[in-house]
Formats: sequence, C-alpha cells, structure tokens
Amino acid sequence: MRSLSKSRPPMRLEFIALLGAFALFLSTVEYLIPKPVPFMRIGLANLPIMIGLGLLNPAEFIVLVCLKILGQALISGTLFSYVVLFSFGGTVSSALVMYLLYNLGSRWVSMVGISIAGAMASNIVQLVLSRYLLFGESAWLIAPPFLIMGLATSIILGIFTQQFMKRSVWYRQKASL
Amino acid sequence: MKRTLVGDLAILLLSLAVIVGSFGSYGDIKGKPEVHVRVGNQAFVYDLSVDTLAVFSGPIGETSIEIVGGKVHVHDSDCRNKVCISAGWISRPGQWIVCLPNNVFIMIEGRLTTDEGGVDEIAF
Repeated sequence: MRSLSKSRPPMRLEFIALLGAFALFLSTVEYLIPKPVPFMRIGLANLPIMIGLGLLNPAEFIVLVCLKILGQALISGTLFSYVVLFSFGGTVSSALVMYLLYNLGSRWVSMVGISIAGAMASNIVQLVLSRYLLFGESAWLIAPPFLIMGLATSIILGIFTQQFMKRSVWYRQKASL
Repeated sequence: MKRTLVGDLAILLLSLAVIVGSFGSYGDIKGKPEVHVRVGNQAFVYDLSVDTLAVFSGPIGETSIEIVGGKVHVHDSDCRNKVCISAGWISRPGQWIVCLPNNVFIMIEGRLTTDEGGVDEIAF
C-alpha cells in the first residue's frame, strides 16, 4: 500500500478545494431558481467540472466529481433520498463523456461541444433511470422538454466555459503547470 | 479553430436528432382512444367506441364498468364509499377513475388531435 501511494502523483488540494467549493456555491445558486421537477437542473454546478477538465489529473478529477455530487445533494437536501441516484448517474455519465471527449477529441470539439455532449449524456441517463425506477413508460413523455432544456443551458454554459478558458489569466497560468 | 467547429456541429446535430427522436414518445399514445383497465396485476383493454359492460372481481368484490357512446364510468362496485361511481363519466385520453379498495384502475389512453380539442405538446 505504501509503495503504491508513493508512486501516485500528489493531489493538488488547492484545485480540488477551489473547484469543489465553486460547485457547492453554484449548487446553491441553482437551488434558488424554480424548476418544474426537482431533477430538471440547469447544470451550473457542472461549470467547475468542465474547468477541471483542463486542470486536474484523473484522480483529482474523480475526487472533484464526488465532491460535486455530495455538495449538490447536501444543498438540495436529497443526500439520503432516491433523487441522489439520479444526480449520481447523471453526473458520473456526463463527467465520463466530457473527460473522454476532452482528452481524446479536444482537437475536434470546443468546450461548447463537450458541454452539450455532457448534458445529453446526463439527461439521457436520468431519463433511463426514471423510466426503470419511477415512472415506467410514461417517463418518455418528459424527454423532449427535458432534453431541449438541457441542450439550451449546456450551450450557454459551454460558451461561458470556452470564454473563461480563453480569457482567464489564472486559468492559463494553472493549466500550463 | 475551424476544426473544433466541426466536432461541435456534429455533437449538436446528434443531440438535435436525439431530441427529434424523443418526440416519438408522443406517438405511442396517439390514435384511437382505448380504455385500459388494471385489476390487481391483470390488464384489460377495451375500445372506447364499442359499448360494453364488463365486470371485474377484485379483493373485496365485483366492480363493473360500462362504456356507452364513447364514455366510460363505473356502473357498480362493491366498495364501501363508492368514490369510483361518484367520479362519473370520463371520455378524454388521460382521464382516469380508480377504485382503491377493490384495486381497479381505469384509464383512457390515446390522444385527441389538436383540432378535436386535445392537448398540445406543452400542456401535458
């Protein structure tokens, strides 16, 4: 065990803590915004995850994703309810898709594309979960508005992230480390 | 810069295709209204346009439903409060009557077209 932990690159807590706190804060902001169903989210808390794509190594990224799920569940008070399953499924799938796209296809897609792909992955997984866990076939009825909403918000978030990555001096310095 | 646009567009088009495809879920409930009756774990389907009198037996007795002239109601039921009978007639897709004590669930499925006064996409 000891030799294994020595060979691992050190966790840079400053990044994880900052982005994790960012996710927690944005979850709070998002919680203020009224929405028709509790799991229809704007996805503000995915912003730090997207920023983390360019800053963190895989282990740090996983920690950040866990922090985001935990923080969001704490803020919305759903930590010990079934809703956290949706949050978990959605976040993990979107983080996975975004991570793969960023690392394998960053020459072909910008943050906008990554954001859209992440949102679609998250929404589709949540729809499938609600199909099998809650509502049955009628879950598909909510699919069109749910997906359209996700597409719209993810494009806006993606443009924001793209601009942030391009213009932030802090980001440029840290990402080049 | 231009190259990332290609990937973005591909992802956008794929997403739009998924969204357009997802509207297909509304197709399943289109068409002729049917009366779906669920009794315990059994399910029955009746045509709303054919007059019928059907009797189902649930845990506390018998519940009979009647379809007359495109409308359906609970004709008689052995339950205590007769809430299902008081619910009266239903005729539009999405409407339902339930008899909880006798475990009978009646729902009309299918959809009226918009010019017949049915719901549109955003009103469900």
